[in-house]
Amino acid sequence: MNDELAWVLQAQQGSDEPFTQLVEEHQTHVYNLCYRMLGEPEAAEDAAQETFLRAYQNLHRYDQNRSFATWLLSIGAHYCIDRLRRRKLSVFSIDEENDDGTTFEIADASSPDPEAESVKREDRDRLHILLKDLDETDRAAIIMRYWYDYSEIEIAESLKLTVSAVKSRLHRARRALAGMWQEDEHRSPRTRAERRVYESPAF
Amino acid sequence: MNHQPFEDWLLNDKLINPKQKLELDGHLRICSYCSALAETGKALRGVKKVSPAAGFSARFQARLAVQRAAERRRRLWGAILFTFGGLVMLTWIAWPYLASFFASPATSITSLIEWGVFLITTLRAIAQAGSVLLDVIPGFLPPFVWMVLVSALAGISLLWSVSIWRFVRVPRGV
Repeated sequence: MNDELAWVLQAQQGSDEPFTQLVEEHQTHVYNLCYRMLGEPEAAEDAAQETFLRAYQNLHRYDQNRSFATWLLSIGAHYCIDRLRRRKLSVFSIDEENDDGTTFEIADASSPDPEAESVKREDRDRLHILLKDLDETDRAAIIMRYWYDYSEIEIAESLKLTVSAVKSRLHRARRALAGMWQEDEHRSPRTRAERRVYESPAF
Repeated sequence: MNHQPFEDWLLNDKLINPKQKLELDGHLRICSYCSALAETGKALRGVKKVSPAAGFSARFQARLAVQRAAERRRRLWGAILFTFGGLVMLTWIAWPYLASFFASPATSITSLIEWGVFLITTLRAIAQAGSVLLDVIPGFLPPFVWMVLVSALAGISLLWSVSIWRFVRVPRGV
């Protein structure tokens, strides 16, 4: 039995300490998902806390054959999707990202080229802004696929969708992102052509 | 412009051979859409994880403690209200019988039987009156009153269902 399952079993019996270990272990995964979904550090902190609270209250429902991380992310993703839908209803606009020091991007210590790193960072920030315009469920699928390397089957399990629906959502989201990326380039034409990457690291 | 098979390769992260890679590079030079698709794909793969501010689990413990205290308060008040309300109801219902029982046991048994007979005859009378009213009233009430009544009943049923659903629902994803 691994440590994580042992912690889960102890927490299911009402012990607090093992659950704290689980929070320590998964806080970055859950927070990162919420941050990418909601786009704001404060909202992400609140959503991540709520995710752990829901997990704690429903620990007896956890299926031990499933990965605990996947279960947590499933709760977090659904919570964020519901929250975004409520935001839409209350005509709440997502403002520009406000990094006030509560969020820390893990630094890339192995970056040999500061300029290339700065370009990458700019692209990541741009992507982060564009993500906010995607449909909530598409956004969750994209985050799970690219941030967490989840397979389509795992995403389908987490989001309670069929595998073909996940595939179609991923394609739709990628196309939408590319379209927005193009529009963004037309709006602010810079010297991107010089640094345009014609190949994907996957190839 | 025909984006196939390049769009398919990019969307599905397909492994391609050197010849296909040359073809793709040539297409990306002339197609801004596929180029944007490749760039967003690269940006997505290059994303980094962000961490919460230090002390996250301590803040979670504090929130959990607040939640537990609120839950305890809610349960305590629920128990108090339930017990108090139950006692008041019981006293109100039982008071006449208790009073007569203590005054005279024989009288109280007689009154209990009388009460039983009264209850049965009352129920029968209500049932009869109800059936008579049901036969007569539909003719007197205009359609819009029926609509109002049915709508009110539907509203109450909906409220009841929503209350039960909110009480028993499990958060999504659990």
